[in-house]
Amino acid sequence: MPFNLAQEAIYRPCTMILLDYHNVILHDTLSARFESEKPEALDMTIVDFDGVLYHLSTPNSKTDIQISFKWRCFPELINYGANDILQREYGTMLVTPAQPGFDVTINVDLTSLPQEAEAREELIRKVSLLKRNIMAAPFERAFKEQEQFEDEKQANPNPELMAVHYREDEAIYVKANQDRVTVIFSTRFKDETDRVFGKVFLQEFVDARKRQDLQNAPPVLFSTREPPLELRHLNLQDSEEMSYITFVLFPRHFAALDVREETISRIQIFRDYLHYHIKCAKAYMHTRMRARVRDFLKVLNRAKPENLNVEKKTATGRTFRRT
Amino acid sequence: MSSLPVVVMDNGTGYTKLGFSGNNEPSFVFPTAISTHESPSASGAPSVASKPSYLSGNLASKRGIEDLDFYIGDEALANSKTMAVHNPIRHGQIENWDHMERFWEQSIFKYLRCEPEDHAFMLTEPPLNPPENREMTAEIMFETFNVKGLYIAVQAVLALAASWTSNKVNEQTLTGTVIDSGAGVTHVIPVAEGYVIGSSIKSIPIAGRDISKFVQQLLRERGETGIPPEDSLYVAETIKEQYSYVCPDIVKEFKKYEQEPDKYFKKYDGIHTVTGKVGFYYVNIPYSVDVGFERFLAPEIFFNPEIASSDFLTPLPEVVDNVIQSSPIDTRRGLYKNIVLSGGSTMYKDFDKRLQRDIKRTVDLRVKMSEDLSGGAMKAKPIDVSVISHKKQRHAVWFGGSLLASTPDFNSYCHTKAEYDEYGPSICRHNRVFGSVM
Amino acid sequence: MPKAAECYELELGHHACKYRWILSRHIIPSLTTATSSRLAISSFFPSKPRSEAMLLWVSTMKSDASSEDIIDEALNLFRANCLFRNFEIKGNADRVLIYLILFISECLSKLAKSPSPGDAVKQLSTLAVTNFAIPGDATFPLNAMYSHPPDRGQADQLRIYIQQLRQEMAVRLVERVYVDGKPSKWWMCFQKRKFMGLAL
Repeated sequence: MPFNLAQEAIYRPCTMILLDYHNVILHDTLSARFESEKPEALDMTIVDFDGVLYHLSTPNSKTDIQISFKWRCFPELINYGANDILQREYGTMLVTPAQPGFDVTINVDLTSLPQEAEAREELIRKVSLLKRNIMAAPFERAFKEQEQFEDEKQANPNPELMAVHYREDEAIYVKANQDRVTVIFSTRFKDETDRVFGKVFLQEFVDARKRQDLQNAPPVLFSTREPPLELRHLNLQDSEEMSYITFVLFPRHFAALDVREETISRIQIFRDYLHYHIKCAKAYMHTRMRARVRDFLKVLNRAKPENLNVEKKTATGRTFRRT
Repeated sequence: MSSLPVVVMDNGTGYTKLGFSGNNEPSFVFPTAISTHESPSASGAPSVASKPSYLSGNLASKRGIEDLDFYIGDEALANSKTMAVHNPIRHGQIENWDHMERFWEQSIFKYLRCEPEDHAFMLTEPPLNPPENREMTAEIMFETFNVKGLYIAVQAVLALAASWTSNKVNEQTLTGTVIDSGAGVTHVIPVAEGYVIGSSIKSIPIAGRDISKFVQQLLRERGETGIPPEDSLYVAETIKEQYSYVCPDIVKEFKKYEQEPDKYFKKYDGIHTVTGKVGFYYVNIPYSVDVGFERFLAPEIFFNPEIASSDFLTPLPEVVDNVIQSSPIDTRRGLYKNIVLSGGSTMYKDFDKRLQRDIKRTVDLRVKMSEDLSGGAMKAKPIDVSVISHKKQRHAVWFGGSLLASTPDFNSYCHTKAEYDEYGPSICRHNRVFGSVM
Repeated sequence: MPKAAECYELELGHHACKYRWILSRHIIPSLTTATSSRLAISSFFPSKPRSEAMLLWVSTMKSDASSEDIIDEALNLFRANCLFRNFEIKGNADRVLIYLILFISECLSKLAKSPSPGDAVKQLSTLAVTNFAIPGDATFPLNAMYSHPPDRGQADQLRIYIQQLRQEMAVRLVERVYVDGKPSKWWMCFQKRKFMGLAL
């Protein structure tokens, strides 16, 4: 498991800490359509993290669900081999050309669905992982390149630094090296509070690896403002708002196929995971603050002055009110 | 990224509707419920560590993540056996902000899967929501989630906007009477030019849940023994949803059932899954239930509440008439002309026709009486009573939100993060009416 | 159920005025002669003479066979009305209706054990004649709504009249409720409903 918080999940369900890799709306919509006996027209636009836009529609017939995908960094990913992955994962489901305005369109034919429930679930899962699979391109290439270093028979490759500008001001850089693959995230905290939380959170991330039981996790480095050495040549603008997080992946993180798939899934959602947890941390702080305020209010309420406006008696028996 | 759709969230007492603007249906509809492991302490507050955590050794291992250990929606209910389920919204208003904040946390990240910093948000609020609640909502949205923009719309106004899709409507007006009936409560809300006439709102303690219970009671009285006890409410709900309709006259309806039983009596077929006594196998036992008078008696409790309740007796048409009569006199014609239905419990077939007929009857009677009183000297211009039913009625509030949020002007109506940072939460006390858009 | 009462008034039309007249004789008693009341009550059962006792009353009456009388009306209205707790009495016909609806409820509870149709008629006919309360008796549940007969003679007359109603109802109810030799569940489901929260 690459991340230390995930290690804590040994005794707590990890679902509550990690985000899903697949798109829930895609998954639910397809499941519902697969179940229902009467196909219906569909026209729906939804998003996924990092500005991914999905369009679900039935332009040709009600039994043909087309899922179109659009992402700003798609041209970059094509350069890193996204097409191969698309061919491998979706093959004949791919529609060319894609719907106008979109990068990829895949078609699900409701009339030729597999019969078995598991195969159907597998198909749904595959479609709902569309973004993840496309984004896997640079990682898969980097892992392959690293393997080439290991393989003495082949000539050493000359790996390039693969940059994916997946958000407006943020990018992922992936590079294979002699014995490792380096993944660098640049992330921008628009909000000052977030920046502070982010810093603390990332420091924890770095520190937690010092724990004995997390020795196998990939080393994490982070820096604010200044890009790490690997990116110096890019002449990125220094900014207070930017942070850089470097993961160093060793072959043990991607040699075995299942570990590799998990690593790819997990690392590419890192940015959202980070921002999610910053928000959760803030929510947690708010909860504590509200609890504190309630406690203080209790104390304050106890200090109410006694009611002065009560009837009092004089020695002679007359009553009066102090005003 | 400005082209990304607006997130539309309609958090109701019973159900939450989540989705993106421009769509016809919300992507998620689930109960507004959250399940946590908290011990139900009296104040509902989580225990606050008495010592700062840095004093207690290893920071990473000691800092709890209990605050992440919760479920929302259907998952919350599924875990009700081992966790405590809370409803953060009561009577339409948010009561527990801690729970609500976390409910939103998962709504956004786990279900909608979007980065709130990239999207504007359209939230809804009940009529008469105190401005403090609106500020609190804004505080959470802008400070916890850093949303790009926020607009808090009144549910009734969105329901009016949703009715524009009906072909019965030929002008896009924000004046009308909204009848919003969900699971828990039914509201009758007069709206004039986008503003709710707060003093005239009436609510009726009859809604979806009461109807289901009434159907359940009818089935029980008839001795429909085939229904497994644990499914009884579910069966009642399904019968209500699949077979119920509003009839013009119950006496005549009873007669119809007697004369043409084959046409009117229905059958509901269910399957009861029982765990076998030995080992872990399941047995499916099919059963069938006769469906009879509950078909028209179920929604009849709106029109004759006394058949199901003993403490609330005013029929819905009368409530609507009272609401409009108590509104300012210059708005009344508009309110009668545009009576808009919203929510799942208004979906019964012919609900609109019956309501319109009953209201019209009262109104005509009143007009005639005043004409008679004038001794024939005055002739009133007839009052147009029109009840509007449309396809998007079930999630009308959400759909109205989706509709308004996808207009190009939405951005100019929405409060931005920059404004919030400049002026603070008080900017969200006022949300401009979409009147000038149309 | 104000609406039902209203349409009842309207729809019954010609019946209603007859009933009201009869009831003004009986349920709101006033001085009356035997012959006129005899004629009056006979108009109650215009079409369907049932028993010896009935024949006695109907003998003077001939009427078209298609029209419904108050017994049929009560049977028609029973299922709708027994759901209600409130009923606005607009006329004396409504008082008879209330009584009959409550009697139907009582009969249905007797049919709960689903006796054979023959037995059912027998049981209900016995029920119809065994001692029952009339307005003015301490055990009559509707005393607040009905005026009481002023003297013994009128009380006896009223008792006979009500018994007529009960007997006729007992027979027609079985006819209506029994389907395939047993009471229909579409009737029996209303046996626990208490019209106006009352029972005889």
